[in-house]
Amino acid sequence: MQGKIAEHIGSLAFVALVFAVLLVYLKHLEAADRQARAQAVAPYVSIPGIDFGNPRDRALFNEALNLFRPASPAANDSLISAIESYRQSRFTDPNLKTGAAERGLTWHVAGKLTVMYLQFVLVFGIVLGLTFYGAQSLGIYRFVRMKQGRGSYVEEFLQLVSRPNVGGEHLIRIRKASFLLVKGFLKGVAYAILFSPAYVIGYSFKASFETNSLLFMILLGVVSNGLLVNYANKFYTLLATENRKGYVETALVKNLGGEFFWNAPGGITYRSILSLPRHFPGHVLQHIYLNARHQYFPTLKEQASFLITGLIIIEMALNIQGHLCYELLQNILYRQYDIVLTILFAIFLLVKVTDILVDVRHHREELRYENRN
Amino acid sequence: MKTGTSRQVVLRLAHRGEQHIRWMFLWIAGLGLLWMWDLFFLNRPALSLVRAALFNSLLAGLLVVFFSMTLGWASGLLVYSLEKRKNTLPYIAVTFFFNLIRSLPQIVGILLGYIVLTSLIVQGILRAPFLQLLSMSFVVSLFVFLEVADLIRERIAHYKQLDFFDAMLCCGIKESRIVNVEILRKNSLAHLVHKGVAVFGMALFLQCSIDFILSVGLSTEVSSSNFPATLGSMLARMDSKQDILAISMVFSDLSYVSALCTRHLQGLNIAFAIVYTLVCVHNIANGLVRRYHL
Repeated sequence: MQGKIAEHIGSLAFVALVFAVLLVYLKHLEAADRQARAQAVAPYVSIPGIDFGNPRDRALFNEALNLFRPASPAANDSLISAIESYRQSRFTDPNLKTGAAERGLTWHVAGKLTVMYLQFVLVFGIVLGLTFYGAQSLGIYRFVRMKQGRGSYVEEFLQLVSRPNVGGEHLIRIRKASFLLVKGFLKGVAYAILFSPAYVIGYSFKASFETNSLLFMILLGVVSNGLLVNYANKFYTLLATENRKGYVETALVKNLGGEFFWNAPGGITYRSILSLPRHFPGHVLQHIYLNARHQYFPTLKEQASFLITGLIIIEMALNIQGHLCYELLQNILYRQYDIVLTILFAIFLLVKVTDILVDVRHHREELRYENRN
Repeated sequence: MKTGTSRQVVLRLAHRGEQHIRWMFLWIAGLGLLWMWDLFFLNRPALSLVRAALFNSLLAGLLVVFFSMTLGWASGLLVYSLEKRKNTLPYIAVTFFFNLIRSLPQIVGILLGYIVLTSLIVQGILRAPFLQLLSMSFVVSLFVFLEVADLIRERIAHYKQLDFFDAMLCCGIKESRIVNVEILRKNSLAHLVHKGVAVFGMALFLQCSIDFILSVGLSTEVSSSNFPATLGSMLARMDSKQDILAISMVFSDLSYVSALCTRHLQGLNIAFAIVYTLVCVHNIANGLVRRYHL
């Protein structure tokens, strides 16, 4: 365990070092680039009598250049555009402004970023908790349906319509078939939402709802980007794998409950799937669930990383101003690399802290399973 | 009334073991239907753009699968051989580096990779559209391939515990052949295909997201207008976004659904293609798990 924590701390230190080196290098590069651009156009912008703001002077200068250097019209055009962008930067580049706010990572900016970061961590924590719970609930639900021998609604519909007719049950079959089709349609809609990238859902609701709210972000984080459905699938696979193990059959032979029908005596209830902590007393599912959950726990690290990807997509794609990742995008655009690297490091720190917490929790549980604590 | 043969076909398709094939057909049929619909209702310039974007996205997804498989296989074998030879320091260094990539949220890594690609495009190093697509796919695969590497290591570890591994060594078969041919190619093909399908879905999702973000958020140099059109960058266009925004009209006027399917086709088309492909890929992967008991 100590080795794992040392590795996490080592990677944090390594990334911090790399970012520090990168920051120094980028600052140096930016300054050198600005200086080189200024030097390249300096002899021309100071020519007396030419006002580059005047279109006539610009056209005259262009013609004069083409006369002096007729062999390189492309280079002449590049020079003109370089002069133009240099002139523009004198009005727009915050580095060249004297009255503008101080650029880069100041205490004021750091304070603003800290508030945004705490908000990001809060959303992350809530969504992680909800998806962890939701994925397990959905996984168990699918597992119970599998144990009941039920397939998808479309499969059930196809089986129903392909079954030979036995006299007098036409109406019942039509009703059942239409009911299955409606259920199948609703499931399809639910799948479409669960697999939709966040920006598709976000823009679909943008005109009707307040999409910049924290609540909407949490909701989007839970239901979009395929997060919930993919991890529910993972948990279901673990349950199915556990179910194939020998101890399950042994437990059933020894009369542990193995009935999987809803609300049947000794069966499973919807409430037991949704309740926290989940208990299936006297049922084999209790042991299948506990063992699957133990194996599922380390995937929380992967889930956390994917969730952060999802949250970044939500904040960046929906242009939610005042949020951490929107700020990240804006600072990439304005080349404020110190702020960019600080935000990236903060995000990396969040992933690493989650990794450490998951590893510690898993290690403790492993000790308990192996009777070593 | 149904004939016996058609009933058998229906039952066969309904059989759960065939789920992956059924969803593959459904995916192709769904995109085909969408195509037919577009031929009738979508204007020609938009149709050709959507066609190019869909083609580029699917091609990029396949390229990511190829790169991820190659990188994953190579890195899985590298870690295995370092572990086996007890090269402690290189082993620690390599696993440390891989864990570092794992900890970096994929979208952040890809975003940084795209910034590098943009500077290469601006400098004129990456000019050909196919080369740009290739490099975009490579960047995405750098943050996905570890899933394949983990699978490779897991499969080798699983088979190494069995007697047949030692038996083959005793028969004089080289270890590299046992690992590459007997374990991975002959006995793990279904696992690798399943992983390939999952990687394809992940690649499509990541690529569309990053292209959307770049088109929406960064409008100057780091812009997806530098890159070949994909579903994500097409969705970020103003007209497509207006089409998606129009969905919320349905909440106030249900009859607007018909207008959505004819007047706001471009954005809806692209969103549908992305979501439908992701759902189908998920179900194909699930079908493979069921069919081969993965």
